[in-house]
Amino acid sequence: MAKQLGFYVNLADCSGCKACEIACKDRKELPLGVRWRRVYEYGGGEWVADGDQMVPSGVFHYFVSTACMHCEKPICMEVCPASAISKRDDGIVLIDPDKCIGCRYCSWACPYGAPQFNEEAKVMTKCDFCVELQAQGQNPACVDACPYRALEFGDIEELKAKHGELNDPAPMPDPSLTHPAIVYTPHKDTRTSQSGGGQVLNID
Amino acid sequence: MTKKDFLTKTLTDTVISRRSFLKWSAALGGTAALAGGLDFGLKTVEKAAAASDSQIFTTSCYHNCGSRCILWAEVKDGTVVRMLPDQDPEDTFDRMKAIPCLRGRSQKWRVYSPERLKYPMKRVGKRGEGKFERISWEEALDTVATKLQEVKEKYGNEAIYYNYATGQIAGGVDNTYNGVGPIARVMHLFGGYVSFYGTYSTACYSAALPFITAGGSNSSDDLLNSKLIVLWSDNPVVTRTGGKGIGYHCLKAKEAGAKFIVIDPVYNDTAIATEADWVPINPGTDCALIAALAYVMVKDGTYDKEFMATYSVGFDEDTLPEGTPRNSSYMAYLMGRGYDKTPKTPEWAAPITGIPAERIVKLAREIAGTKPCAMFQGWGMQRRAYGEQPVRALPILAAMTGNFGISGGGNGTRPTGGTNISIGGFPAGENPIKTKISVYMWPDFIERGHEMTSGPRDLIKGAEKMTADMKFMWNWAGNCITNQHSDINGTVKMLQDESKLEFIVVSDVVMTHSAKMADILLPDTTHFEAENITGGNSEGRSNFVLFNHQLIEPLYEAKDVLWVAEQLADRLGLGVEFREGHETRESWLRDIVAVARENNEDFPTYEEFKEIGYYKKVGGGGIIAGKAFVEDPIANPLKTPTGKIEIYSPTMAAMNNPEEIPAIPLYIPEWEGVSDPLREKYPLLMGGHHSVQRSHSTFDNVAALREAHIQSLWMNTLDAEARGIKNGDMVKVFNDRGEVRVPAYVTNRLRPGVTSLPQGAWFTPDENGVDIRGCINTLTKYHPTPFAKGNPQHTNLVQVEKA
Amino acid sequence: MDTREWALLIFTILGQIAAGSLLVLLIVRAFAVRMAGVDQADRFTNGPLYIIFPIMGLALLSSLLHLGNPLNIAKAVPNLGTSWLSREVVIAVVFVILVGVYALMQWRKIGNNVLRTVIGWITGLLGLVQVYGMGMVYMIRTQPAWNTLATPVSFLVTALLLGVATIAAALIVNNALLNKGDKKDEQQLEMLRKALQGLAIASIALLGVEFLVTPLYMAYLPSQGVEAMQSLEMMVGTFGVIFALRLIFVFVGAGILATYIYRNASILGKEGTLSTLVFSALILILTGEVMGRFIFYATHVRIGL
Ligand SMILES: Nc1nc2c(c(=O)[nH]1)N[C@H]1C(S)=C(S)[C@@H](COP(=O)(O)OP(=O)(O)OC[C@H]3O[C@@H](n4cnc5c(=O)[nH]c(N)nc54)[C@H](O)[C@@H]3O)O[C@H]1N2
Ligand SMILES: Nc1nc2c(c(=O)[nH]1)N[C@H]1C(S)=C(S)[C@@H](COP(=O)(O)OP(=O)(O)OC[C@H]3O[C@@H](n4cnc5c(=O)[nH]c(N)nc54)[C@H](O)[C@@H]3O)O[C@H]1N2
Ligand code: SF4
Ligand code: SF4
Ligand code: SF4
Ligand code: SF4
Ligand code: SF4
Ligand SMILES: [Mo]
Repeated sequence: MAKQLGFYVNLADCSGCKACEIACKDRKELPLGVRWRRVYEYGGGEWVADGDQMVPSGVFHYFVSTACMHCEKPICMEVCPASAISKRDDGIVLIDPDKCIGCRYCSWACPYGAPQFNEEAKVMTKCDFCVELQAQGQNPACVDACPYRALEFGDIEELKAKHGELNDPAPMPDPSLTHPAIVYTPHKDTRTSQSGGGQVLNID
Repeated sequence: MTKKDFLTKTLTDTVISRRSFLKWSAALGGTAALAGGLDFGLKTVEKAAAASDSQIFTTSCYHNCGSRCILWAEVKDGTVVRMLPDQDPEDTFDRMKAIPCLRGRSQKWRVYSPERLKYPMKRVGKRGEGKFERISWEEALDTVATKLQEVKEKYGNEAIYYNYATGQIAGGVDNTYNGVGPIARVMHLFGGYVSFYGTYSTACYSAALPFITAGGSNSSDDLLNSKLIVLWSDNPVVTRTGGKGIGYHCLKAKEAGAKFIVIDPVYNDTAIATEADWVPINPGTDCALIAALAYVMVKDGTYDKEFMATYSVGFDEDTLPEGTPRNSSYMAYLMGRGYDKTPKTPEWAAPITGIPAERIVKLAREIAGTKPCAMFQGWGMQRRAYGEQPVRALPILAAMTGNFGISGGGNGTRPTGGTNISIGGFPAGENPIKTKISVYMWPDFIERGHEMTSGPRDLIKGAEKMTADMKFMWNWAGNCITNQHSDINGTVKMLQDESKLEFIVVSDVVMTHSAKMADILLPDTTHFEAENITGGNSEGRSNFVLFNHQLIEPLYEAKDVLWVAEQLADRLGLGVEFREGHETRESWLRDIVAVARENNEDFPTYEEFKEIGYYKKVGGGGIIAGKAFVEDPIANPLKTPTGKIEIYSPTMAAMNNPEEIPAIPLYIPEWEGVSDPLREKYPLLMGGHHSVQRSHSTFDNVAALREAHIQSLWMNTLDAEARGIKNGDMVKVFNDRGEVRVPAYVTNRLRPGVTSLPQGAWFTPDENGVDIRGCINTLTKYHPTPFAKGNPQHTNLVQVEKA
Repeated sequence: MDTREWALLIFTILGQIAAGSLLVLLIVRAFAVRMAGVDQADRFTNGPLYIIFPIMGLALLSSLLHLGNPLNIAKAVPNLGTSWLSREVVIAVVFVILVGVYALMQWRKIGNNVLRTVIGWITGLLGLVQVYGMGMVYMIRTQPAWNTLATPVSFLVTALLLGVATIAAALIVNNALLNKGDKKDEQQLEMLRKALQGLAIASIALLGVEFLVTPLYMAYLPSQGVEAMQSLEMMVGTFGVIFALRLIFVFVGAGILATYIYRNASILGKEGTLSTLVFSALILILTGEVMGRFIFYATHVRIGL
């Protein structure tokens, strides 16, 4: 099997600070509205009366930091009419801005919201796994930015061996759609794409 | 779970109105692209090749976030192109990387911000109107010098005040906190000024601490030895965001097996990241919970009687100081023999705290039954109406459970820095004037300074009475004139009477709301624009010192504080004394390194230090507060007046105000608190937690941060439902002091009846005076606490409606 | 709303009008040839034929507006292997060329009737394929509200319904142009009446199909997961009014007015009334279908983030 690079996110330790998002934005000089790395808040439960007091019942909340999953079955690439999306030997999925005609079809298809249209440049953009840094032997900007060391990257098989198999914490979609190259450590409250039971709570 | 994509969004936009960040910021007139040259993340590969001619340097992060991190900057063609994290090759518990947070990573945008002040200005309209006219540095400095001399002649140096300001506090030359740095040096030479005691951070904590433990707790690396960690009004993954802070130490403790309990009205980010059990408590009621927990431990017989008898004053009747009236002890209070004749049963505490009695019992048994247990307090519960009380109450639990003075435990206060590096600082000299007011009470200094005394109303220090009203205010790198102080609308009104406070000098780097109050406005350089040396992060087992390189030329006409101080000194005839032979910035910096080399064997030479950019010291930590005291309380007394854990304070008893300054830490119902009848009109309690996208008001001008974390009113699902408010809806938040409009963040993450409006957003009134950016101090009350005379900014009542 | 988003809507609607019209016209012509011979049939149908090319041309032009960066098309390699959008673009381009060629042949009488008829039908079938392709573009596995048979079927119904209405209107205009002045061509008039009757019946039948597909589709959505359920909720909730109006418009246009058209077409000398009815029906159906397409785009909910 060919090499497949992927991300690892430790949901248990993530504080939702978004240093990863900001580092990505700085590294990639992204304009407002384009957020290659985003952090979702997922939570649920309710407040109920316990005698005279109100108490939380099943209240939970956790964060999921997300970028492009560099999927093994990238639906973005499947649907792109301009052959602007390609998958490298190391599994990294890239959009070629010189080929992209800006039809936005990939963003209709990708279940991770990874491709994001750049209004100024008029082309689709997404996380490129910091290929330029990797080429210099450095880590992706987001990985090095996490103050709580909750992000890692590497060969997905090695990451799985180290961290387990979880690849669909809610609110992530059913992984069978695209086979994302990702693995997570669950938070104590982590639900899966199947069990759900909460909501995305970001207000943007 | 699902998110509509762009097409759906644009289509639905036409039918149902939807708010988005871009629209909000458009409404604020700030859609401007992020500064600093955009190429939209394209062609990174080519760019990487082209970037090889860039260089990286250490810089710093020098404002008030409670942390210090190692920040690098990539510079190309005289421009900072990007921020980089700590480049140290090692990242271990002993030599922890100081990974900067999202704010540090945004420094480029903060510096290259469209809001930068570009040249000196003088006020032309009414004060506070925000109308300014460009002037030369010459004129600005002449005006300030003339005014200083005039005030000195007419009213004396005691009419000059140096306001609390924490925008530039990392040490070295560019350090402008009260009493340190170049401006302080000139002003000391000039005859001094009235300064302040306490801080907006810890007014109650620092006032009360000397009367309970007289010192902080174990260093944070010791958390690794705890089995149970109870965080009380503490949110360190936010308030110590950097990757070497207490927040990360907590995660390391979790990894080592510690369980966490978080006692907070809010299910804060730390509770989430430590996977804690959350005990949602009503704000302002911690003393009631602590009393009930102590009650259960007494009833269960699970507390350390012998320890309390030996090490405390006033826990029970036997340990009360001689001559104290009977039933004044904490035990008497607990058992219903004290002043209120009410036993502090869990059933008593339940309706106050909002925590069911069984939960309180369970919590007491968990805490008493798990050893070692570290109990820490954040400063949230002390920035409140009676903030002195919980500071003094929590150490009682630490002592009762035998965690005081042991590894893995703690004294119930806050972690102490583990590793100090002694380096030099800028020699500001001594302030000849000893009079100090409480940091928070400067408005009284303006309105009735000459009446203020050391008596209980004002508690000024260093003198019996004040001699003048404030006529001249320095405000260098702070936003506490309005934005960060209470009751902005009231404060602005007061300041508009120019006959009272005659002259305000503000230095800042951006046009803040406090800056709009200035009579003379000075554009400062940022840390990118001048060379400096800054201190590090003393948390845990290592620390560092940073060489802060000058990365770029000063922007516009900005001038650094050293230059301004020199110019001022020259005008005041103090130039020679000021310089003391130092002709360059570097000469001051070399002094700092010289001291550092004296105190640290391996500290590099100035040249080496500048080249490497940082100095790291490892091998610290392991501080167990009160260990020596516990081993031998006679030989090693605490620094409290009684030398013991002072549960009963004779000093406070002597103040003769048992209702508000009780001798033992009591639950005192707050004004604008859970039980205030005013809740009929303003039913919701509102705090303003410190949030991750800003350090106070600093960074609120960075659009990328505002986009990542949208300023919003946190409110409970039930309160929102009752008002027809949905997540993301625009709401108005108001009370008699003002009105704010922000989107609502509807969540189960806080108690019903409780709201939080993260402090620090830039006050931005519209034409009707309604703040449209979510500044909490539009709504807070100016009401000093009884003993510390501190800021009760988390105690507020409001009403919320859908806008 | 962004022009770009309307562009897609216009592209699909116009593209479907073109395909549907051509097909309807070919059938009408076949009948006309039987009734009145090739020459009269061509006189009857050539006028309407000439509008199809510009309609399809416009469709393609508007599809360009949807692209962020149309200039890159020069550098882009069509991804025929996996991308339906790619295939669709290629089909549409070939279709417009063939439509042009066919119209030119008809106009200049290039080739004999058999050849022209064959080319015509090939083009017509390609039009059908194009409509199918358009449907396939939206059959994305992460888009449950789209990823159903209902998408291509409803596209086809739209194409035919609008084709019928468009051709009816075009025949009336063509006839009016032919019969300018006093001398009336009775045979052409006769054909027109017959054609309108046929088209009215077709319209009512297609309406039946549409009114069968829509409830089936709505009944099917809840079984397709939360996202599809959300789509349904939006359809009847947020966009409920538009949804209802759309059904009413199409019902009135393709049903009630069609009935009147059928009746009036059997009476001599009702050209004036007929043309009012036909144009009203066209406008109603077109408006209804545009609203339907708007809802199609506005209510899809993608799986995931
Ligand atoms: N309601 C409420 N209010 C609060 C609090 C709360 O919890 N609730 N918290 C309080 C606390 S704990 C504190 S510490 C205070 C903090 O209040 P402040 O000390 O006022 O802190 P900042 O708001 O960060 O303001 C720092 C200012 O320094 C400026 N600055 C940054 N860099 C430079 C520079 O290089 N030169 C110059 N001249 N200026 C610079 C920034 O632009 C900013 O305007 O707020 C208090 N206010
Ligand atoms: N990101 C970031 N970090 C910062 C700062 C910043 O502005 N931004 N500011 C720095 C400064 S100067 C300071 S002083 C510190 C401030 O640090 P803190 O004062 O500890 O921070 P707060 O957010 O005010 O309060 C901490 C927690 O106390 C809770 N709380 C409020 N009232 C009560 C109460 O009555 N009882 C209980 N149990 N909990 C309560 C709040 O919900 C909050 O979760 O943070 C520092 N760190
Ligand atoms: S996450 Fe989306 S954009 Fe990234 S490879 Fe997978 S399908 Fe493509
Ligand atoms: S927007 Fe660009 S990358 Fe995405 S599908 Fe269209 S051509 Fe391909
Ligand atoms: S790998 Fe690079 S491009 Fe991708 S999210 Fe991380 S920082 Fe952004
Ligand atoms: S930087 Fe780390 S802790 Fe912060 S949001 Fe990203 S993954 Fe979570
Ligand atoms: S934690 Fe403080 S010092 Fe560290 S990067 Fe963030 S703002 Fe700067
Ligand atoms: Mo503070």
